[in-house]
Amino acid sequence: MQRRMVLAALLALVLLVPPPADAQKPIRVGFPMIMSGPGALFGEPASKGAQMFVDELNAKGGVLGRKIELVVRDTKGNADEAVRVSRELILKDNVDFLVGTLTSAEGPAVSVVAKENKIVFIAPIPKTDQLTAPDKLHPYVFRVASTTTIEGRTAAELIAGWNVKRVATISPDYAYGQDVTRTFVEHIKKVKPGIEIVDQQWPKLGEADYTPFINAQMAKKPDAVFSSLWGGHFVTFAKQAKPLGYFDAIKYNFFGAGEAASPESTKAMGADYPVGIWGNSYDAFYWTDGPPAHRDYVARVSKYLKDEYPSSWAIQGYIGMLALAEAIKKANSTDSDKVAKALLGLTIDTPHGKLTIREKDHQANRAQIYGKTVKDPKYPFAIMKPATYVDPTKFMD
Amino acid sequence: MPDPSFLFAQSLSGLTAAMFLFLIASGLSLIFGVLRVLNFAHGSFYMLGAYLAFQTVQSLGRGPSSFWWAVAGAAVGVAVLGGLVERLLLRHLYGKEELYQLLFTYALVLIVSDAAKVFWGTQQLSVSRPPGLAGAFRLFGTLVPYYNLFILLLGPGIAFAFWLGLNRTRAGRLIRAAALDREMLGALGVNVSRLYTGVFVLGSFLAGLGGALVTPVKTIVPGMDVEIIVEAFIVVVIGGLGSFWGTFLGALIYGQVLSFGILIFPRFSIFSVFALMAVVLILRPWGLLGRPLKS
Repeated sequence: MQRRMVLAALLALVLLVPPPADAQKPIRVGFPMIMSGPGALFGEPASKGAQMFVDELNAKGGVLGRKIELVVRDTKGNADEAVRVSRELILKDNVDFLVGTLTSAEGPAVSVVAKENKIVFIAPIPKTDQLTAPDKLHPYVFRVASTTTIEGRTAAELIAGWNVKRVATISPDYAYGQDVTRTFVEHIKKVKPGIEIVDQQWPKLGEADYTPFINAQMAKKPDAVFSSLWGGHFVTFAKQAKPLGYFDAIKYNFFGAGEAASPESTKAMGADYPVGIWGNSYDAFYWTDGPPAHRDYVARVSKYLKDEYPSSWAIQGYIGMLALAEAIKKANSTDSDKVAKALLGLTIDTPHGKLTIREKDHQANRAQIYGKTVKDPKYPFAIMKPATYVDPTKFMD
Repeated sequence: MPDPSFLFAQSLSGLTAAMFLFLIASGLSLIFGVLRVLNFAHGSFYMLGAYLAFQTVQSLGRGPSSFWWAVAGAAVGVAVLGGLVERLLLRHLYGKEELYQLLFTYALVLIVSDAAKVFWGTQQLSVSRPPGLAGAFRLFGTLVPYYNLFILLLGPGIAFAFWLGLNRTRAGRLIRAAALDREMLGALGVNVSRLYTGVFVLGSFLAGLGGALVTPVKTIVPGMDVEIIVEAFIVVVIGGLGSFWGTFLGALIYGQVLSFGILIFPRFSIFSVFALMAVVLILRPWGLLGRPLKS
């Protein structure tokens, strides 16, 4: 009898103790990202960067004593598919947060899902201003990527420093290309009123033959060009433009926004790269003037990706997850409402220096690395030298 | 009035694009003309040609002739693959509903694109112009890259060889006969099955050749298969499905309309081509040089 009582009491005690299960259960983060098709070239390293952050954090015990589990889903680079997998991540996989999307079509679409489900969504890559525009902003969407405003204005300031008068543009005809080019044109007219925009070409996104556009542009005799052809589009464009004497005609006064100077592009083109043009990149492993934290990050990511010249896209996923983890820590909770509040005004230490997410538009002061490309005997491809991280704060409204 | 040298450059760029398209579309049209199979996987063979060329250039190094070996190797490699596909798989679907053949070639598209991703990853790959044709020369005030000149000469060369083969050889006569009435041809004792394999191999060879030759001017990325098949379809629809000269004409028109279309509708470069295709479909649904299908 006595023994029974003791056992029953023990059992009651066990039942009374709050289940520790919740503390052990990992925090699940949905990561909708392009993992197939041409965009996978960028989506894959971005998700690996996110995974690297998660692995490192979990090795140190995670956040709030819980590990993070990354659930990656393929969006196929399609906004509808991104919406579908995001809903599935929330409803079926029970993720607590969303970090991800790549294109400027996917980002705003998934933002709507986050709003409906009241789940924090951090966009690490899409640049379109529309994502955090006043009419689209809601309490749960945040961005740690640069924006079309920041990128277009930075390019305008840099080109304003060149000794040129007749400027032309060539950009893919869709949201990102239009937004960044419009911002560029508006800003350069403001900072250097003497500039004349002599030509604007709008090849469709994924154009296979740029030659007619190149000829048409050369016929207008610009002395500088702003472009936002990105990734493989830029590679194709440059391969066709170089033998036509395009870069010589503008004396290499060419500015390739959209990561035209990323190690991926210069590596892919090798000797065919139009060395001497200006461009930008999310990251550059050779950016030795960067903060010590960056050099440390490069060493780690190089090892993680098993690549001597690691991808410049990994940092996007890395910083996206970093922002989320810091916000969870600050909120001391995984409740989306609390984490969303914690993200407002949050300052985080990233490999690129301090980033602050503004309260006003949920936008981080995130820049990119800019520079003029040169040949460097140390590498079998062109690099930006000097590579400069241009602080975007003054370009943000 | 725009500068004449600019108009010249523009038409030249249209011509170059046309020759590439002709290479791809002629194979598609040939296979349809004889086998009556709309081969969706034609673009996948083109992509494989590009990847194989890249792989060969990588392993041979940047010698003066490595590019040409790569082109030959890629075209032959894809032709062999085409032969295997026809012999082992496609032939079981002849005589079945067209839907089955469409589904089969569509499945091939998916399989090849995933296989290419497994082997070559998703990164953008690039092949340099062959050393002998790397430069450019000035003609009427515009720079013409030697490589483009080579393509401009190769296109008509292939077209001529084709024409000669179709009109002057026994195999050519058989192919033309098969396009007109294959049952009759079979009844006359011709080995139609071998003819089909031969045509499929030839079509695949052209796709592989096109894919390999395009590498110095384009980027090799996943997705290039679907991109080209759409363009090739437009070309054969304009020219007439199954018509050899129709394909040549369709490619020429496609190239010029694209080149000059952007001067008239700069924001809608592709619009002019689609508009043209719509007009052709309304006025001559069987294409400019095609003949109406017997129902």
